[in-house]
Formats: sequence, C-alpha cells, structure tokens
Amino acid sequence: MTTRHDTAASPVKGGAAPGRPPGGNTSAEADHKRRAKLSRRWQRDMRWSPYAFVSPFFLLFLAFGLFPLIYTGWASLHTVELTAPTDMKWTGFDNYTRIFDDEFFWNAAKNTLWIGIISTVPQLLMAMGLAHILNYKLRGSTFYRVVMLAPYATSIAAASLVFVLLFGRDYGMINWALDLVGLDKIDWQNGSWASKFAVSTIVIWRWTGYNALIYLAAMQAIPQDLYESAALDGASRWRQFIHVTLPSLRPTILFTVVVSTIGASQVFGEPLLFDANKGASGGSQHQFQTLGLYLYEQGWVNQHLGRASAIAWAMFLILIVIGIINAVISRRLRASS
Amino acid sequence: MTTTMTKPPADAAPEPSRRGRRRSKAARAGGTLHAGPIAYIILALFTIGSLFPLVWSAIAASRDNQRLAQTPPPFWFGGNLFDKLEIAWKDANLGEAFLNTTIVAGISSLTIVFLSTIAGFAFAKLRFRGRNALMLIVIGTMMVPPQLSIIPLYQLVAKLDWSDQLQAVILPSLVNAFGVFFMRQYLLQALPDEVIEAARVDGASSWRVVWHVVFPAARPAMAVLGMLMFVQSWNDFLWPFLVLTQNGSPTVQVALAGLGRGYTPDQSLIMAGALLGTLPLLLVFAIFGKQIVGGIMQGAVKG
Amino acid sequence: MRAARRGSARRVVVMAAIASLGAGLLAGCADDGNDEDSSSSGDSSGKTTITLGLFGTMGFKEAGLYDEYEKLNPDINIEENVTERNENYYPALVNHLTTNSGLQDVQAIEVGNIAEVVATQADKFEDMSKAAGVQKGNWLDWKWQQATTKDGATIGLGTDIGPMAICYRKDLFEKAGLPTDRDEVSKMWAGDWNKFIEAGEKYKKGAGKDTYFMDSPGGLINAILSSEKEKFYDASGKVIYKTNPAVKDAFDLTAEAAEKGLVQSQTQFQPAWDQTISNSLFATVACPPWMLGTIKAKSQPESAGKWDVAQAPKSGNWGGTFLGVPKGGKHVKEAQKLITWLTAPEQQAKLFSKMGSFPSAPAAYKLPQVTGGKNDMTGDAPIGELFAKAAEQIPTQVIGPKDQIVQQGLTDNGVILVTQGKSAKDAWNNAVKTIDNNLEK
Repeated sequence: MTTRHDTAASPVKGGAAPGRPPGGNTSAEADHKRRAKLSRRWQRDMRWSPYAFVSPFFLLFLAFGLFPLIYTGWASLHTVELTAPTDMKWTGFDNYTRIFDDEFFWNAAKNTLWIGIISTVPQLLMAMGLAHILNYKLRGSTFYRVVMLAPYATSIAAASLVFVLLFGRDYGMINWALDLVGLDKIDWQNGSWASKFAVSTIVIWRWTGYNALIYLAAMQAIPQDLYESAALDGASRWRQFIHVTLPSLRPTILFTVVVSTIGASQVFGEPLLFDANKGASGGSQHQFQTLGLYLYEQGWVNQHLGRASAIAWAMFLILIVIGIINAVISRRLRASS
Repeated sequence: MTTTMTKPPADAAPEPSRRGRRRSKAARAGGTLHAGPIAYIILALFTIGSLFPLVWSAIAASRDNQRLAQTPPPFWFGGNLFDKLEIAWKDANLGEAFLNTTIVAGISSLTIVFLSTIAGFAFAKLRFRGRNALMLIVIGTMMVPPQLSIIPLYQLVAKLDWSDQLQAVILPSLVNAFGVFFMRQYLLQALPDEVIEAARVDGASSWRVVWHVVFPAARPAMAVLGMLMFVQSWNDFLWPFLVLTQNGSPTVQVALAGLGRGYTPDQSLIMAGALLGTLPLLLVFAIFGKQIVGGIMQGAVKG
Repeated sequence: MRAARRGSARRVVVMAAIASLGAGLLAGCADDGNDEDSSSSGDSSGKTTITLGLFGTMGFKEAGLYDEYEKLNPDINIEENVTERNENYYPALVNHLTTNSGLQDVQAIEVGNIAEVVATQADKFEDMSKAAGVQKGNWLDWKWQQATTKDGATIGLGTDIGPMAICYRKDLFEKAGLPTDRDEVSKMWAGDWNKFIEAGEKYKKGAGKDTYFMDSPGGLINAILSSEKEKFYDASGKVIYKTNPAVKDAFDLTAEAAEKGLVQSQTQFQPAWDQTISNSLFATVACPPWMLGTIKAKSQPESAGKWDVAQAPKSGNWGGTFLGVPKGGKHVKEAQKLITWLTAPEQQAKLFSKMGSFPSAPAAYKLPQVTGGKNDMTGDAPIGELFAKAAEQIPTQVIGPKDQIVQQGLTDNGVILVTQGKSAKDAWNNAVKTIDNNLEK
C-alpha cells in the first residue's frame, strides 16, 4: 500500500493545481539565494525531520509497547500461569504445535472469519452510504454526528442488557416480532448461525457510525472543483460518487479495510457481552467464540498465560499471512490490468 | 443497506440554487448539495437504531428490578430516574471520576492527535530511509491483541510504582498505531504535494510546514481522531481497572464497576450509572462534531 | 507564505490545544501527588485509613459496620473499593498479588477462588491464625480449613456462607397436589436426590405444562454436587471429576430431570431467567439465604409470602467469602484488627439481619438477629433457624483451585444442552472436552 498513494492522490493534485496562481516565477530567484544561504540547515532539516516526526511514536512504543510484545513472545515458549507469571517452565514450541490439534482454536478461527465477514462488509458499505448522505447539506447535521458515535459510546453494561433482552429466546422483542408476522421463534444464543448473526448485529451496531465518521472526514477533503468539472461533463450524482468520491477516498477505504480486518480478528467485547453471565466460552457449544474471546478465556479466565500468548502470536502470524496473500493478489491484479 | 448506497437522493435540489450557494460560500466543501427526503428517512432509521439502547438504558434506570424482569419489558419511563441518577452519582463518587477521566481522556486524545498527525505526515509525504519498514511496524503493533498485553504491561507499571496514578493510564495509551495510520492515509488524500512544495519554496522549515500547512489541512481528520480516541479512553475498562482504585483516582468506568453491588445487582442503578457515564461523551461529540461540519479544508488546500 | 497569514485563526486553535495539553499534564501530575498523600498514610486529622478491596456481595458499609467500628476506634477511617462482579475483581487481584502492587489493606476472596489463592498466593498473605483475638473455634471447621494451607497458615477469615435449602412455591405445590408444609416437603425427599426428581415427576403430572418443577439444570447439578464430600478434586489435589462417580451421577440425574422436562432451559442469573421468576414459571429453586434476596428483587409484589423453605435432600454450601490481609498492604496490624472484628459472631449476625449474608460463625446462630430472621417472600417462615439447621449439616468438602472452571463446564457446556435436545452422552462429552481444554496449562 505504500506505493499506492501516488495514484490515489492524483485526482487531488489535478484538482488543486489550477487553483495555484502562476505567480511563483518572480519570487523564485530570491528564494534561490535564501536557499543557498540556508542550504546546510535546510538539508539537515530535510534529512532528519522525518525521523523527528515519527520518533515520539517509536519512543513510546519502545517504552510501553515492546516489553509486552517480547514478554508474550517469551511466555509463549513456556508453561506459565497468571498466578505466578515469573515461574516459567520452558516448553519450546509446544504451545504452537498444540494449536494445530486444538479444535477450539480452529472453531474460534472459523467463527471469527464468519463473524468478520457478516459484520465487516455490510458495516463498511453502510458507513459509506451514511457518510455520503451526511456530506449533503442537512438540517441538524451536528445532531447526526452525535448520533453516529452514540453506539460506540454506550457502555457495555447498557448494551449487553439491551441486546440480551432483544435477542431473548422466550421473551425477546425480536422473536416477539417474528411471532407477530407468523414466523418461528429463533434461539439466538444457541443456534450456530443465529448466534453469529446476532453477534455480528452488535458489531455492526457499534462500529458503523465510527467508520462513517472516518469516511465523512475524508469526503470533506475532496476538492469541490472535482465535482464541479464532473457536473460540467454531465455526470449524474451517482456517477460523481463512483468517479470522484470513491477514487478520492481510496487511501481511507484502504485504511478502514485494514483496520476493520484487524479489528474483526480481535472481536471480543461483543461476543462476551452477548453472553455476559456465562464466562467467555462463547455459547454452550462455543458457537460464537471468536479468537479474541478464546484468547481472553485462556489468559484471564483459565489463567494460562503461556498458551494465551501462543494464541496471540498465532493470530498475529495468521494476519500477516493474510496480509501477504492480499498484497500478492492485488499486485497480480494490477499487473494484469 | 444497499439502498443507502445505490441512490443518493434523487435531484433534491435544482442545479441553479446549488451553484449559487457554493459561490456564496466557497468554503463549504461537502455541504453543497441539499439532502432529499429519502436521505432524511434513512437518517431517521439510523438514529432510532443507534439511540435505542441508550434511550432504553434511561428507561431501565427509571424502573426497578421487579419491573425489568417482567415481560414485556418496559417501553416507557418510570418515576425513579432522577432518584437513581442521584444515588448513582453519589455512590460511585462520579464527580471526582469525571475530573480524572477528563484529564486522562483529554491528555491522551490531544497527544495522540498531535503525535499521529506529525508522524502520519512524515509517513505520507516525506521521503526517508526505512519509511516502509517503519510503517509496517506501526501497522504490526495494531495486530497485537490488547487483552493479553496488559498483563506484562502491568508488571512494568508495578515496577515503576505507578499504581493508582493517572500517568499509568495515560502514557501506555499514547502508543497508538491506529492514529498514525489514520493520519497517514488521510494526508495522502487531503494534502497535495504541491502545497508542501510551495511552502518549501517559500523557505519554510519542516516544522513550519507542519504548523502552517499540515495542521490546517488535517483539521477535520484531527477532530475525528480526537473524538474517537476520547471515547476510547473514556470507556476503557480492563486496563484502568487494573491500575486505578475507586478510593484513589478512579476513571468513570472504574468508579462505575462497583455500582449495583449486592448478591442481586440493582440493574436500574447500574443503568443509571452507565447513562451518567455516557452523557459527557455526547456533549463532547456535539462540540467536536462542529469541527468537521465541512469546508474548513478548502482554504488550506488552495494555499 | 499565504497559508500562514490566512491560518491565524487556525493557529490559535492549535495553540490552545497544545496549551491545554500542557496544562492538563501539569494538572494530572499535581492530582496524582495529592491522591497519593491522602490515601496512603492518613489525612490531616491524623487518622489511619484502612482500605478494603471487595467484590459485589459483601455489604459491610450498607449494614453500618464501618460507622460502628470508626466510632469504637476514633483514630481509624475506613474506605472500600468495591467491584460488582467477581469475574472482574479476581483476575485483577491475582495480578496485584503477583506484582505486589495496587493492593488494598484488606482483600476479599470468594469461596470459588479460595483454594487457588491458598495454593498459589499463600505467602502473600498474613497468617490470620496468629493474629490477636482470632479464635479458630468461632468458625465452622470446614470454613476455617478452606482458607488454611497444608502448613497450617490461615490466609483469610470467613465472613458468610451459603447453606443450601430448597425454596418452593406453596401455591404451586398445592395446585399440583404436593404437600405444602415445610416439614412434610423436607421429608418427601430427605436424604436422596432421586426422591427429589420423583417429587418433580409428581409435580409435573399435577401441574401440567404451564410451570416447571425447577428453575434450571445448572441450579440442580450445583445443588447435588455441593452436598458431596468429594467432587472435582481428591484430598491429594488430583483432578478426579471425570472418574468420580458422584460427579457422573449428579450429571446423569440432572440430565434425566432435563429429559423429563422438570427443569427449565435457562441459565441462572441471565435476564431470561429473571423473567421466569417474575412470571412465576417454576416451583423450586436450590436456595441459600441470599437466593431469597434474588427472588425478592425479581418477583412481582403479589408473590410475597408464597414461598417457603424446606431442607434439601442433602445439605451443601453455595457461596461465601473470606477476608485476608496482604503482606503488601500499608496498615497490616490495623487491618488484621478490623477483619477480626468484622468477622466476629456479633457482626456476622448483624450482617445477616441487614443484608441476608449467612454467618459462618455458629455462635451467631443463637443470636436474636439470626433466630428472628424473616423474609418478605417466605412470610412467617423462621428462615434464620431453617438455614442454621442446614448449615450444621454441611459436609466438609474437598475443594480445588479450578472448581469454578469444572463447574461452569458441566453446567454451561453440559447439562444445559440436554434441555436443548442433546443426549446426556453428547452433553457430557461436550462438557468434558471443554473442561479438559480449559484445565490444560
């Protein structure tokens, strides 16, 4: 993705270029003199300032991010319990090799994949649509921006009580509505697909507005000139959306896809709150236990720090493999087109 | 959801008025077109869906345990709302918790926004050795599941003897790859290279470019990132709960963790506390929401 | 440059942001400083502040015990730090103990965790058996032993216990043609859980389909297991749940009850289960004293007085807490003194009368607060006496560090499946797979 920004930024460039007055020539000579004078400082600035800009992040990362990473990596090679984190027994790669036989891990991986697909795709499409609407001139636009983040701001306590009641088998409002239109009641917590669908609903509810806000900010940065010239060419609003909005948003879309993919791989709060009184097993047959929840169960509930660390690293490696496959495919696609 | 995608409300505003408005207020980027009735219908549905749990938690807070256990559950407010809110406020000592959380969420979100913007700018627009490798590390750090990292992180904080001090919550939260990545992607799109070059030609140092070009251009994204990080910090539970105590310097979520105690938790009190904990966030949204109402961009882009 | 001039307003905003950031940092640091001073070594009046780390079920403050102690000891100030859910409280406590930081002067430990704390964290706690004024004979012996290591160090003093009886609906029993007098009911199933199931079948014949005999499979299997001397671990600390016939019998009996439709397909303490209390959909529930509080909180007002308390076929314990003093606390001596007082029979009796937490000190059973105990839901029933009788019959049970995980597996990944149509064998296999995976280090 690092090379892609050139193409992605081009429409913006094209739009902004006419806006620059062609008056730069007269001052160019004066600039040249000044630049010669300051050239050493200038070069030093050009060379080192990028590092200065990124260094705070990496310094903080060294202070607070690296140790946990190394620790979990080291712990993943040991048998170690939360009750005695310094008491480590070396087991080599046992914690990793056992993952291959761990049906609960693969069940969780499968659930994570399905819940990820069911939730992420509609969530991002809806977010894009919402952002598009909110980009219009609206009455009460501030109000909608508040509304957008309300689900994300709602506390787990409130959300879990509401959703467990909504999806209740015997007295839930959704089943009540299904009954009303003559459909069978659904056991939302115990059905294999029903529960994944319900958990995905919570994910979609919590994160759609979040992504919409991100899209909206990016849409605000699309120069009006682009729409103007598209309108002069007789492009309909829909075509403007396809040919101006979407290409301009490419870096942001890429961002939300990457973040949502990573987020989906770590989904944990929603399945936990969907069954808040039953621990972290994700349903009586683990039907909606995600990898994030499995990790939490092994680390925090069962207190197996070593195993949980290996699961965390396995998740990390799986994501990297997905990332590589993704990069290879998109390179092929670009090469063929 | 496909309907929201396929049809931007058809021709709600006639062409001429649209143009006129844009000329008169050139600074508005997105808000040029008026939304049509379909847009309002979609927004209304979206609003109902989004606010329902929040409103319902207010209803739950206004009732008692007995009523909440009945079927169907209550759909309208009972008489206890203000009593419960008052009890929750006092019981959880929310006044102090609000102050702490404002400090924590305020400092971390502002710092994250600042650091992410300069780092994102460097990754998006500056050339330097190791840029791609460093960016991959940034993205890599997002893939580390936070639920587990906090156990070793706590050992670190315990060594530093920071328990029950706010910096134990603030400092680790500043390692925020999400913000860096977000700002990079935004600036790739929103900040044309020409603008930076123009500033360079004018002899501006990198800091001046950041100050006078990058910050203005990034403002909508900074507002969004600030909001998201503020909420995240405000609602964070697992980590603050590990390092802070209620009789020390609790954040809101830590203070609320004790509400409704008893063999039979008082659900309505828990809901009242949850509601109180959310209200300040909505206020913050209202303030920062205005920052991204649109158009702030245009002046900056044209430089 | 032009952008600079135009951007003066913007600059102000950014400057303000940075300024507030700096101010915030200062404020943050100043704030921390103050907090540390006030919470660690007493406030300006020279009082010593003792802090307690508790989870949901305690209630010392609500019962007025802190006020009383502060009056008796004017130089002491008590603060508590309460977490509603033990699921949140306990992992944090473990992290605090292993790092020896963030500890309160007193920490509560739930009975489900006590064996693990005794096995792995005993060296972090003061030995309360050596503290001044502590008399081992004050407590039920099994309660004392639960918090005592093999070497004889007692890391926590017992507060409450949960002697289990069976709470039943008199009106529903009458409709179904079952006896309603508590002695007759107790006699109907005395000594044998099979008889309890038989009574359930009789109930079902008489009551029809509108109500169930019992609230949940989890409640039933928990009740049966609690009355055993050995369940998931043997005395040497080996996990034996798979081979212990008592566990398999409890599972099979519960599965049988589920197959026969005697228990609801519900998980305890979920909202849907609450609703079945509210709607009076079941006739019995395994019932420590605190369960009456739950019933009261979830019931319609018209259900008041319709419940009664019978003895369980075999008595057992469900719930209870210990208070321990970590060595890493700031006021060890004062904290020991406080919990010795808080867990004395007189205070335990007061706690029962105000909060319904049943005393673990038998001397309290003779005190008026216990003998005169009543509950709205059970009308005139002398519940203090009834539960005291149950308490005296509780067997000394071998407990193990991962009891909760095994129990949760048998319940939520086991017997509940039978109520959803799985065979008992499949449910057992599912439970065993889950438990073994969770126990494996």
